[in-house]
Amino acid sequence: MEALMRILTELRPDVDFEGNKELVDGGELDSFDIVSLVGELCEEYDIEIGADDIVPENFNSVEAIWNLVQKLQED
Amino acid sequence: MAFTSFRFVIFLAFAVAAYFLTPKRCRWVTLFVANYVFYLISGGKFFVYLLATTVTTYVATVRLGNMAAKNKEAFTKAKETLDKEGKKAWKADFTRKKRRVLIPALLFNFGILAVLKYSAFVTGNLNLLFAKLGIGTELPLFRFLLPLGISFYTFQSMGYLIDVYREKVEPERNFAKLALFISFFPQIVQGPIGRFNALAEQLYRPNEFSYERMKFGIQLMLWGAFKKMVIADRVAVMVDTIFGFPETFGGCYVAVAALGYCIQIYGDFSGGIDIAAGAAQIFGITLEKNFERPYLATSIPDFWRRWHITLGAWFRDYVFYPLSLSKFFMKLGKKGRKFLGNYVGKLLPVLIPQFIVFFLIGIWHGAEWKYIAFGVYNGSLIVLGILFEQPLQNLAKKLSIRMDCFSWRLFQVLRTLVLVALGKIITRAPGVGASAYMMRSMVENWDTDIFFQGGLLTLGLDHKDLWIFFLSCCVLLTVSLMQEKGIAVREALAKQNLYFRWVIYICAVFSLILFGMYGLQYDASDFIYRGF
Repeated sequence: MEALMRILTELRPDVDFEGNKELVDGGELDSFDIVSLVGELCEEYDIEIGADDIVPENFNSVEAIWNLVQKLQED
Repeated sequence: MAFTSFRFVIFLAFAVAAYFLTPKRCRWVTLFVANYVFYLISGGKFFVYLLATTVTTYVATVRLGNMAAKNKEAFTKAKETLDKEGKKAWKADFTRKKRRVLIPALLFNFGILAVLKYSAFVTGNLNLLFAKLGIGTELPLFRFLLPLGISFYTFQSMGYLIDVYREKVEPERNFAKLALFISFFPQIVQGPIGRFNALAEQLYRPNEFSYERMKFGIQLMLWGAFKKMVIADRVAVMVDTIFGFPETFGGCYVAVAALGYCIQIYGDFSGGIDIAAGAAQIFGITLEKNFERPYLATSIPDFWRRWHITLGAWFRDYVFYPLSLSKFFMKLGKKGRKFLGNYVGKLLPVLIPQFIVFFLIGIWHGAEWKYIAFGVYNGSLIVLGILFEQPLQNLAKKLSIRMDCFSWRLFQVLRTLVLVALGKIITRAPGVGASAYMMRSMVENWDTDIFFQGGLLTLGLDHKDLWIFFLSCCVLLTVSLMQEKGIAVREALAKQNLYFRWVIYICAVFSLILFGMYGLQYDASDFIYRGF
C-alpha cells in the first residue's frame, strides 16, 4: 500500500488521493494517467493489467486500485 | 425522416402514444416495432445491413456467453489442481478460443462499413497511383450509398460485442431485445453511441408515463431545434458562400467562415443530439451525454473530452487502452526510458496510441484526404501538447504568469478555439489544397472589408438575419455559461411561476416558426453528422 501511494503521488503530486472515491469519475485521473499508472503497477507488483481491467470502478480510489492489485496477484 | 420535419413529430407522437398504451410487459416490443418502422421509412432497403449487423452480433455474443459459462464451470473444477502458471495458461487458452469468435464478427461488421464507406476512395487513389506509375490497369469505382446511421450502430454493436468478450456484460439472449438496443430510433441517425450496460435496461424495462419527463423532453427537443434551425442553418448560408469560393475570399472572410462553421457544426450536431435525447426522455430513457460546452475548453484534449464524448469514449476504451496497454507498447515504454530518458519513455505508450486514435477518428468522419489530414492535425496537436506541457509550464513560471485567474482561462479558451477553428477549415474546405490555400490567404490577404465595407451583407444574410443570428448566439452562450457554472437550466425554469414559464415556451415555439430557416432550397434533413 505504501508503494502504491508513492507511485500515485509521484504520478500526480497535485491530487489528494486519501479519501477520494471519484478519482476517475471526478476527472482527477485521465486516460494518460491511467496508462502511466498501469505501467508502474505492473512493474512494481509483477502483475499484468489488461484493457479488460480498465473500468472506473477499479481506479476510483486508492482502495479500489489496491484491491485490483491484490486480485491480480492472487490470480 | 429528418428530426426537424413535421413527419418526425407525428411519428414520435404515435410512437409515444402506442408505447404508453401498450401493457407494461410488452412496452419494449412496441419500442422495437417503432424502431424498425422508423428505419424502414427512413433507410428503406438498407435495413438489410442493419439486420446483418444485428444477426452477427447476436450469434457471436451468445456463443461467447455460452463459452464463458462452460469455461467457468470447468475452471471451478480444475482450479485446485492448477498452480499459478497453470492458471495463466488456462486463461490464455480461453482467450485464444474467444478471439476465434470475436475477430470474425469484428472483421465482418467493420468490413461492411469499410467497403461501403471507403472502397471508392481506395480504388480512386489506387487508379491515380497506377496512372502516375504508368500502369495501364484501372480498377472499377464502386460508389455505395451509406445505410442510415451505419457509423453509429456499427460502433454501438461492436462495443457491446467487445464488452461481452471481456465478460463485462452478459449477452442478451432475446434476439428482438438485442435488435431494440442496436436500433433505438432517436439515436440511430447520429448517436450518441450507447453502451449496453447504460442503455439496454432502460429500453427493456416498462417505463411509466411522466408528465414532468415529457415536459423536459419536449423542452430539450425545442432547444435542439432552435440550435439547428435558427442558428446552424442560418449561419450555414454565409459559411457555404465563403467555402464555396475559396479563391474569392481571403483575410477576415476566411476567419469569419471558420468561426461561423464552428458555430454551425456545433448547433447542427448538438442540436440533433438534443432532439434525440429529448425524444428518448419522453419514453423515460436517458441517453449518454455527447457534448459539454466544447468551445469553453481550455486545451485540445479538454475539447475532445467535451465534443462527441461517446465517440471519444469508444475509441478510448476499445482502441486506446488495448493499444497502450499491449505488451508491444509496454515494452516500447521500457526501452524508451532506457534510451530516451524517463520523461519521453513514459510518454511513448500514450503518445503513439493517441496519435493512432486521432488518425482513426479522422477516417471515421469520411473517406477523403481532408479527414485524414484532420486526424493527423489533431493527433499532432495532442502529442505536441503533451510533450511541451512541462516546459511551457516552467516557462510560464519564469515569466511570472499567473495561471489561476480569469484572464489566463480566457486566453486558454481563445487559443483552443483558434486551433479548433483551423481544424474546422480542414474539414469544411473542398479539399486539403483548398484548406491550405484558405489558411494562407487568411494571413497574407488581410481583407477587412467584411467588417467595414458592408462585406458581411454580401454573403447571403441580410441585416435581419445577422441580428437574429447574433442574438441567438447570445442566448446560446448565456445558457452555456449557466450550465458551465452548474446551473440546471430546465430545472431552474421549472421553479419559476407559471406565467413566466409560458412566456418562455411561447417565445421558443414562435422563434422556431418565425426565425427557423425554411424555404424551397432548404432541406432540414441535412444534419451534417448524419452523413458520417
